[in-house]
Amino acid sequence: MFFHSALLGKARILPHVPSFPNPPPRPPTVCKFSSSADIPTLPPPTSAYVHLPFCRKRCHYCDFPIIALGSSSSSSSPSQENDPRIANYIHLLLQEIEATKPASHDQQPLETVFFGGGTPSLVPPPLVALVLDALRSKFGMCTDPEISIEMDPGTFDRGRLEELLALGVNRVSLGVQAFQEELLRACGRAHGWKEVYEAIEIVTGCDGLENWSMDLISSLPHQTPEMWEESLSQVVDARPTHVSVYDLQVEQGTKFGQLYTPGEFPLPTETQSANFYKMASETLTKAGYSHYEISSYCKSGYECKHNLTYWQNRSFYGFGLGSTSYINGVRFSRPRRLKEYIDWVQKVSDGMVGHDATSVGSKDMAMDVVMLSLRTARGLDLSSFGRSFGDCLALSLCKALRPFVESGHVVAIDGDRKSLSFQDFEQQLNDDYEIGSKVAFIRLSDPDGFLLSNELISIAFGVISP
Amino acid sequence: MGALDRALRAARSKLRPLLSTTSSVSSVFRGIPIGCVDRSFCSQSRHNSREGGVDLSQYPPERIRNFSIIAHVDHGKSTLADRLLELTATIKRGHGQPQYLDKLQVERERGITVKAQTATMFHKHKFGFPDASNIQDPPNFLLNLIDTPGHVDFSYEVSRSLAACQGALLVVDAAQGVQAQTVANFYLAFESNLSIIPVINKIDQPTADPDRVKAQLKSLFDLDPNDALLTSAKTGQGLEQILPAVIERIPSPPGKCDSPLRMLLLDSYYDEYKGVICHVAVVDGALRKGDKIASVATGQNYEVLDVGIMHPELTPTGVLFTGQVGYVVSGMRTTKEARVGDTLYHAKSIVLPLPGFKPAKHMVFSGLYPADGSDFDALNHAIERLTCNDASVSVTKESSTALGMGFRCGFLGLLHMDVFHQRLEQEYGARIISTIPTVPYIFEYSDGSKIQVQNPASLASNPGKRVTACWEPSVIATIIIPSEYVGPVITLCSERRGEQLEYSFIDNQRALMKYRLPLREIIVDFYNELKSITSGYATFDYEDSEYQKSDLVKLDILLNGQPVDAMATIVHNLKAQRIGRELVEKLKKFIDRQMFEITIQAAIGSKVIARETTFLLNPKHWIPDSVFHNDWISFSLRQTLHFGSSFSPCSISAMRKNVLAKCYGGDVTRKKKLLEKQKEGKKRMKRVGSVDIPQEAFHELLKVS
Repeated sequence: MFFHSALLGKARILPHVPSFPNPPPRPPTVCKFSSSADIPTLPPPTSAYVHLPFCRKRCHYCDFPIIALGSSSSSSSPSQENDPRIANYIHLLLQEIEATKPASHDQQPLETVFFGGGTPSLVPPPLVALVLDALRSKFGMCTDPEISIEMDPGTFDRGRLEELLALGVNRVSLGVQAFQEELLRACGRAHGWKEVYEAIEIVTGCDGLENWSMDLISSLPHQTPEMWEESLSQVVDARPTHVSVYDLQVEQGTKFGQLYTPGEFPLPTETQSANFYKMASETLTKAGYSHYEISSYCKSGYECKHNLTYWQNRSFYGFGLGSTSYINGVRFSRPRRLKEYIDWVQKVSDGMVGHDATSVGSKDMAMDVVMLSLRTARGLDLSSFGRSFGDCLALSLCKALRPFVESGHVVAIDGDRKSLSFQDFEQQLNDDYEIGSKVAFIRLSDPDGFLLSNELISIAFGVISP
Repeated sequence: MGALDRALRAARSKLRPLLSTTSSVSSVFRGIPIGCVDRSFCSQSRHNSREGGVDLSQYPPERIRNFSIIAHVDHGKSTLADRLLELTATIKRGHGQPQYLDKLQVERERGITVKAQTATMFHKHKFGFPDASNIQDPPNFLLNLIDTPGHVDFSYEVSRSLAACQGALLVVDAAQGVQAQTVANFYLAFESNLSIIPVINKIDQPTADPDRVKAQLKSLFDLDPNDALLTSAKTGQGLEQILPAVIERIPSPPGKCDSPLRMLLLDSYYDEYKGVICHVAVVDGALRKGDKIASVATGQNYEVLDVGIMHPELTPTGVLFTGQVGYVVSGMRTTKEARVGDTLYHAKSIVLPLPGFKPAKHMVFSGLYPADGSDFDALNHAIERLTCNDASVSVTKESSTALGMGFRCGFLGLLHMDVFHQRLEQEYGARIISTIPTVPYIFEYSDGSKIQVQNPASLASNPGKRVTACWEPSVIATIIIPSEYVGPVITLCSERRGEQLEYSFIDNQRALMKYRLPLREIIVDFYNELKSITSGYATFDYEDSEYQKSDLVKLDILLNGQPVDAMATIVHNLKAQRIGRELVEKLKKFIDRQMFEITIQAAIGSKVIARETTFLLNPKHWIPDSVFHNDWISFSLRQTLHFGSSFSPCSISAMRKNVLAKCYGGDVTRKKKLLEKQKEGKKRMKRVGSVDIPQEAFHELLKVS
């Protein structure tokens, strides 16, 4: 599987953008980034990502670290079930988890776990159980953690799903991607249209599973608006609690990368892609989903808690091939090749830790916060941002985005989550220190602002790091 | 530079009427000085005794043939050259790259020759022995193939290269027949008094019609159909006749062995290790390693450090004798010291300079700027290096508020400019933006002051004093066309402000017209236009003429009310309106979608003569991250620039996607890097404001007017 979304337990409140424990004193009124600002310290992770890289074959758009098992037989066949590569990998994972030191002595129990891939549903549930046990014993687990797993149509049956649920898995992300046989084939998916419906039936027919998500990809080669409309209506009919809609990224080194150029036939033009995006936003919003992040929709209260960790710039553990962790302000990516990963785990076990990682400086942290929070409907919390990085910087951001507030791409929001008019915003802007009180948040509008996110975020970057 | 040359031009039209009486030029030289036979026999043994080296002393002028291959583009000149080099074992078949003599990438891609190249070949031929069949070991001949550029921009260089030849292979495609450049090239060769060997090439094609071509050669050039050689450089058919024909029909070089040294400088290039390497033809006397030589053009003295032949790579021989062609390394520091057409001679001797030398004259100027403002140093370095190899470009620094620091470069002509750009990009990886090319104008003001303008931006839009007169350079153009095209050509020339000087028929099918045209009017797209309205049959050439008075105005392009200095141009008053409109429309098309409305205006002084607005959004310029590194590169190539500091917000109509990447743990870093790059892109833009102008817009502007 390719995309992760995440899961949610029972929390119904959108968690807050990190409020840093000890806000540094307000910097002088120079409206640029002050390098002397303290790097806010992050609380230790309560989320863990676990990469299960196995797939039957590589999809044509995928550039993820995966291991193709190369068998077309169904997952329940004994040969695949007992593939020694899976078991060996799981033991490697266990070794890594075992060797990982908790980020701090006051480690809080895990609140979210996300099994992403790859196709995690190819891993036999007993092996998944071993990983969960290892995490539980190493870090602890809160009473109602969100435990998500990505599953692909055609790789599981009702029995296997129930086994997983019995282990505590409570959120399923179903990698449907498309509802058209020809598109599935064009993507090189290992399943067809029939398996998609079977999978939906299994998932919806399972009493123990309330929270599930469906992944779709837009802008696939030869995809027409009619097909996209059909896919969206199928999604609405299946009534998942969460939907992720991803715009196809043509990555270098993938089969698509060799075959296609973005914006050129058979890929849709940029305008068509933008229309697909708007169609999704419109259809799903109408069907009662909240567009809570650029590419994520959910029924009220079903945000993916795990993914919110990322977007709120909070710490997380990462385990497995190619996975990234973010601990104590340090992002570290594990080797993407199995051989190198094996060597690396060995080193970690031997205590010769090779965390060749990038520490996030305070300027970078500000950029991360802006980039990630502007992806969400909640937006950027200006007072929290101002406390961490200086009110002046928050004000400069607003000034830089002013034309876009006027054009409607950026929305200013007050403390009661009410949108402000441009005139109100303008007035606040002239009244320097009011930013953060009246204008509590800025967010990108849906869909136009989201569509321009790159432009708008890079403008913000220009303010933070001129 | 077509305008560069040329004493020969004037002679041309006088020669033409004589054409019909000159009959087969190639049959003129058949005799051979018998005296050389013994000498060459004697030297034969010396040659054999030397190991690997080449003893040039055994090749007196009688055993030397210097020739060139001339042809319309794509008629097979380079392939034929390759075959001849293979035939003489100068290069091995299948070794070396095709189009051996076209060494520059730009030459290979465009199928043109820009730099003159020479190659020396040896070929045994029984010529000169009446009872040839009895001869066991026929004598060796030294053959110099001198490859020349074909374009009018380089016709001065061509004329110098041809001056070193006594004959030429006139290659014509058997299917396409005689084409415009064939005609131009024939006359160039004919004016240089060369023996011409017609070669009808590509006879293996199904549509080949050699008889038709023979008839054309007869009627156009009065070449005897029996003299034509039929070949296919591709299959090798008929190639064996070529070198014998070269030896038998082309006279040997006419120089005097016992006169003081005079040699013609054909071309030069810069070598990292050896320094400047000059291609030379020894006209009289002999040149030896260690000789002290001097240049007529610069007066500088040099010592000959290395001398030899191109066989086909540098092959030292220590000496070059009369009539021989080769290379000289003499410690010149830059190719600027090596003037094409210069005469080199023994220092302290007194010689009459060889005729025809002219200094390079820059007729087209344009600004060159780094596509990315921060790349100035890189561009500076690239230009320095390239001018080492192309001394015919003049370079001075200039700066533009829109484009930053850059250079004002003078070129011989438009193709020369194009080639220079392409070489900068291909050989030095420089990414550049070029401004609209211009010619040197002269403006006179009411206070009596006079200025020469090589950059329109430097001309004040509102000088505060009256312009009393302006002058622009003009040329005398000669156009030869099949008579059915006379009408359209007259229309074209009047559109280009031409003044007809002569209109006559040189035979019942072809008309000759002479026009005085402003140089400005022909540097942009005239030749292409002429070719297209005459199906490629027009032969066009020109020579410099004097400056003429003209009613000129400066046309400014304004974006959001601000003039963009790099887009200013000087045009004729009567054409200003139309050109202004065209420029503005073009710009609107190429400044694609923006975040905010942009007003594009053309103005003369403070008077706006054309106006457009644009507004739309093109996220392409903003690097969607759906598009990874690949497009990053292309982004840098299509470099956007920003102008105008004020923007007027307006509705953004066509909203397109600016990317919806997924973003989770592992993606944060990657995504951020992309956005940072995007930010860097914006930073360059912000320097001057808010308008994106893709580089294509500049390229497109070059084509207007």
